[in-house]
Amino acid sequence: MLILSRKVGEAIIIADNIKIRVLENKGGLVKLGVEAPDQVIVHREEIYLRILEENKKAAMDSPDDLSMLSAVFPLQKKE
Amino acid sequence: MNALKKQDIDQPGAEKNITVQTSRFGEITVDRERIISMLSPFLGFPESTRFILKSHSPKSPFMWLQSLDNPQLAFVVLPASLTGLDYRPEIPRQILKELRVNADNDKDILLILTIPKNNPQEMTANLLGPIVLNSNKRLAVQVVLDPHKYDPCCRLFPAK
Repeated sequence: MLILSRKVGEAIIIADNIKIRVLENKGGLVKLGVEAPDQVIVHREEIYLRILEENKKAAMDSPDDLSMLSAVFPLQKKE
Repeated sequence: MNALKKQDIDQPGAEKNITVQTSRFGEITVDRERIISMLSPFLGFPESTRFILKSHSPKSPFMWLQSLDNPQLAFVVLPASLTGLDYRPEIPRQILKELRVNADNDKDILLILTIPKNNPQEMTANLLGPIVLNSNKRLAVQVVLDPHKYDPCCRLFPAK
């Protein structure tokens, strides 16, 4: 892993178009400002992992047949 | 995002349908015009960018979102509007732009369900990471919302 030391106000640049600046460091909470192109998606790690885990669970768990769902649950498509 | 379009232009005589192997439905024939392209893949499944929506049955609101790139990948999804939940998340404008959504009725919100095999009544819907779909343009993306507001595993049928 590349480790860089930065002071408040300093930044790092990733590739040519992503800039991450340390804005504030107060009581253990570090505020970062991210400048990146619109198509670059930025996530907080724990939320990213939460969604990833839920996606995997949904894909793994799904039942073989959905017929029983319609029987058990009173959902009907509105015409 | 425009790969499909480009291909159509490059190959005007291309077959209307493609045939894909899936583990759940066996070999399926898909009309190219019904293929949904993801703006970015589902987290955890970077290889899958093309999907097809398959209704479970004409009367059922449940649908399969089957990957055309990974035969084993299929999600059970449900339109958010049919859940009975008051769920109208604000979708970032940039995402609507990328989905080419102009009016509100251009977009559908689908929820991914996690259904325990032996306990379907304990199914949960992922409200934190819904799928926003522009069915006219057949573009979709999984949006990550605010975790303080939305639950990734919300019970749809609470225990009575």
